Amino acid sequence: MTSTQKKDEIGDFSMNFGPAHPGSGNFGVKVQMQGERVLKATADPGYLHRGFEKLMEYREPMQNAVLSDRVCVLEPLQWNLVHAEAVDYLMNYDVPERAKYIRVILAELSRIQSHFIWYAVMSLGTGFMTGFNVSMGYRDYILDVFNLITGGRVYPAGYICPGGVRKDLPEKAENKILKLLPKIDYMRKFILKENPAWLARFKDVGVLSKEEAIKFGATGPVLRGSGVGADVRRDDPYEVYDELEFDIPVRDEGDGYARYCVGIQEIEESMKIITQAIDRLPKGEVRTPNLKPIVQFRKAKGEIYIRNELSRGEGAFYMVANGEKTPYRVKIRGPSFSHMIPILEYLLTGVDYADVPAIYWSLYQCPADVDR
Amino acid sequence: MFLQFIGAYTSALQMLIGEMMKMKLGIISEVFKNLFKRPMTVLFPEERIEIPERNRGEHKFDIDTCISCGSCAKICPNKAIKMVEAPPEFKEKYPKTYPQVDLGKCCFCALCEDICPKGSLTLTTYVFLATFDKDTTMRNPINVEQID
Repeated sequence: MTSTQKKDEIGDFSMNFGPAHPGSGNFGVKVQMQGERVLKATADPGYLHRGFEKLMEYREPMQNAVLSDRVCVLEPLQWNLVHAEAVDYLMNYDVPERAKYIRVILAELSRIQSHFIWYAVMSLGTGFMTGFNVSMGYRDYILDVFNLITGGRVYPAGYICPGGVRKDLPEKAENKILKLLPKIDYMRKFILKENPAWLARFKDVGVLSKEEAIKFGATGPVLRGSGVGADVRRDDPYEVYDELEFDIPVRDEGDGYARYCVGIQEIEESMKIITQAIDRLPKGEVRTPNLKPIVQFRKAKGEIYIRNELSRGEGAFYMVANGEKTPYRVKIRGPSFSHMIPILEYLLTGVDYADVPAIYWSLYQCPADVDR
Repeated sequence: MFLQFIGAYTSALQMLIGEMMKMKLGIISEVFKNLFKRPMTVLFPEERIEIPERNRGEHKFDIDTCISCGSCAKICPNKAIKMVEAPPEFKEKYPKTYPQVDLGKCCFCALCEDICPKGSLTLTTYVFLATFDKDTTMRNPINVEQID
């Protein structure tokens, strides 16, 4: 939206949506326009590349745990969890039961706050500032709990670390989380209220069919909004998800509104998971006993590809250890990459320019996760 | 021409009113509720939000318990900690090397706190660290000015 460039024919021109646009994050889309209609859209990533995969080859696993927060700013605890699981597998750590429950509680809280941000940016993209302000305000209550437990509001600094979690829950943390749930529920009901402006912007906009979603490699709410009920938490359970009861919301429409509805229903399921996990929270150690702050990574040998259900979709770590202090190779699979490049380009072709921000945000992306 | 505009305008207005009537009072009631709620924010310098005990802030170093093992400098992911010698006037009392923290590089992960065998390097809850001067980000093991 920042610059226009006229071509020979009147009415044909190209525009840049982002990367410095308040409604796009650190990501650009080059849009070929004919009047108000988009002819072709080309994604323009790379503005937030930090080279984590290479950096992780030069650092020890505990330092990588701190680094793994930064893969996606909006869901750092879940990225912590994926990284910790990969190292746990390579080192054959037996993670204590209490630590597993704490990991699940924090991952689900992280999912809820991430969905709140999603609602906030969807509101911001379509000019509904009230939604943005209210949603970010309620997200802050969750951040307060993160600050109490992990010591940081946004970045937990590797709180979920190889072998368990770095510290036990502080006193009365369970009560604080339980007190938080009515506030989350209030916000969820606020989001659920039917808003004609919201429906007009997202209903039948950016329709992604089931076949296309599978073909382009969509995961998470985007895939479930297109009618495929796939969720790693149920299909390939990790931590204690196989002991907990929860549903996988699926919608068949495949438009922006369906994706958003899946997200809102997931908040309810996450609340169910948190309540069950707090009820069953056992007592005991939170980190494998006799584990020094430094992980003895020289003992590890082999390779692992481990995947988790993040709030945006499927996130995975591939890690190779060959007996050195640091991992030999790390590959991160982020959920946003397939949403941001093939799916976004496909959905933007032939739509009105006014729908670009609506489709862009309804795909639930994170530019930080695309570039890594 | 003018009448057409008027017609379009009134029909748009009718549509808007119709939509508003259809809209449940949910979001409007939220507006009125907020008139009587306490604000989410506080007036910062006078009031402050309580900072939890675990919050990772500025470092606190106890030189008397430090054994100069250098573990903190080794684990630091950002290489913000450097082992330095004490100033000349203190060299007799403290002959070894001690951690000097550069808060400009620090990511406040508290790995140094976890690894310290004697608990001499800890993180406090103090977070108001904004500065105009780049040189003031260094935290030396012995604060000479304070002692004077």
